[in-house]
Amino acid sequence: PQRSFRAAAALRRPAEEQHKEPAASSSQRQFDSHPADDAPEPGTQDAWASYTGQDGQESEDSASEEQLQHRILAAALEFVPEHGWTAEAIAEGAKTLGLSAAAAGMFRSDGSELVLHFVSQCNTKLAELLEQEQKLVQLGETQKKTTDQFLRDALEARLRMLIPYIEKWPQAVSILLLPRNIPSSLSLLTSMIDDICHFAGDQSTDFNWYTRRAVLTGIYNTTELVMMQDSSPDFEDTWRFLENRVADAVNMDNTAKQVKSTGEALVQGLMGAAVTVSTAARAQRAECFWSLPHFMSVHFSSRI
Amino acid sequence: MAAALCPCRALLGRRPRALRALARPARGLAAHGQTHFGFQTVSEEEKGEKVYQVFESVAKKYDVMNDSMSLGIHRVWKDVLLHKMNPCPGTLLLDVAGGTGDIAFRFINYVRSVRERQLRRKLKHHQNLSWQEIADSYQEEAVKPLGDSQVVVCDINKEMLKVGRQKAEHLGYSEGLSWVVGNAEELPFGDEKFDVYTVSFGIRNLTHIDLALQEAYRVLKPGGRFLCLEFSQVTNPLLSRLYDLYSFQIIPVLGEIIAGDWKSYQYLVESIRRFPPQEEFKEMIEDAGFLKVDYQNLTSGIVAIHSGFKL
Repeated sequence: PQRSFRAAAALRRPAEEQHKEPAASSSQRQFDSHPADDAPEPGTQDAWASYTGQDGQESEDSASEEQLQHRILAAALEFVPEHGWTAEAIAEGAKTLGLSAAAAGMFRSDGSELVLHFVSQCNTKLAELLEQEQKLVQLGETQKKTTDQFLRDALEARLRMLIPYIEKWPQAVSILLLPRNIPSSLSLLTSMIDDICHFAGDQSTDFNWYTRRAVLTGIYNTTELVMMQDSSPDFEDTWRFLENRVADAVNMDNTAKQVKSTGEALVQGLMGAAVTVSTAARAQRAECFWSLPHFMSVHFSSRI
Repeated sequence: MAAALCPCRALLGRRPRALRALARPARGLAAHGQTHFGFQTVSEEEKGEKVYQVFESVAKKYDVMNDSMSLGIHRVWKDVLLHKMNPCPGTLLLDVAGGTGDIAFRFINYVRSVRERQLRRKLKHHQNLSWQEIADSYQEEAVKPLGDSQVVVCDINKEMLKVGRQKAEHLGYSEGLSWVVGNAEELPFGDEKFDVYTVSFGIRNLTHIDLALQEAYRVLKPGGRFLCLEFSQVTNPLLSRLYDLYSFQIIPVLGEIIAGDWKSYQYLVESIRRFPPQEEFKEMIEDAGFLKVDYQNLTSGIVAIHSGFKL
């Protein structure tokens, strides 16, 4: 209980404190009324600590710890253009929150947590954006976009979030591709693509589910690469590239559909032809049946 | 040997908690308690004196002994500590029980190199600088090679500090370095002054570890970091046997041969056995109010670095 008053004082908002205080003091009171208060045996004290809600305290601590970490990383983003995705940027961010620069030691020194934080923040922003758009469409305030336009706009909106950090983005990509960070960066990427597919109205449950996501991921990543090399004003070249790639994908989808329908037509045609041929053959055979001796006809039909 | 050590560890498991309960309500009363000095039980006052005598007598040979006993590995451990700290220019470090300045000199070197790298990057970043600007930046580097970083070495033992000062003079460290005589249990500094608090191979010699941890919490700024490098419990059973054999059969002999002092080194290895194992020490740090406490074992746990933050 001693710890609850001192720990994490810096990040507790007053409101939180108010509802926490009574709980802590009530446990304190219970502790005071404990009969063995004057000379607590070590054993009982230990047992006591385990059920005075110390566990609850711990989880609250870790929740606020996490909150603070997020705040430090959010503040650190401001310094990324200057210091890159580094511990130095995190240290500067910590300073703006009135913390010591040493707080940067909480994070890995390669800056991976900073990059991952940024990526997940962007993903959240994108999901909110798409949801809003969907609401507007549902309310009938805006026209529903065509699929290719929707995909293009969504990917562009997401890529535009990188613009403030584009100078340092290659560094971030290299950090995301470190073997250690690949699982988390990959899951962030797939969840982002999932969001886009979801809002684009993809309801496929067949193999298309995979191909659509794979194609979209490919478009996103290649456009990202183009963007890092792009020096045109407002990244015009990048958006043109994106437009073309999305158009390609949609075309490919259409082509696939066409191929499929052509194939189906072809198969149908062939089937029809086969039926015709067999019917004709049977008709011919019927003629033979009348003209040839009976035993020949038996032999013939057994061969067909 | 290892089996004989186990009971005292089991005993020790309860000890700090009980001790804390005593120490908190009345610091004055705690002076009448009993504590350990190696495997002996002594009064708490006596322990302070005895530890003082130990380090007074080994001060001159301290560095040589460290090298020969650890086969030079202690340098790697200290480098790992600095790497973990990763101080940026402007960091204020308090190195407690850092008498001979090992951590302090490493800190200065580290910060200096970080700063050089930063300046180089800055120069590379602005590609077309005027000569004036380049000259200015070099001047800045010459005037403030540490970028306002400071390290305060605090040690209770004057002999150890004397050795450290001589070493600093010899090696040419002067700037950003100060030496203070002080007790880790009652640090002579104001609240919230330092970014990082380190104590390497010192905390096990203190009579009241919990008081020292509270003091560390007090002098650190919010967001500041506590780092402790200390001998710990060896996790590998095979290595543990070898380590015990080495500690009890060889180290005192080395002490006698090199420093002419068997007893001090006997105390050293015994005090290592008396120090709480990793998890328990971690709990103690958490009890002092630190958050995000973790530890890293080095060389299978012969030493461990504990780290915590004041948030």
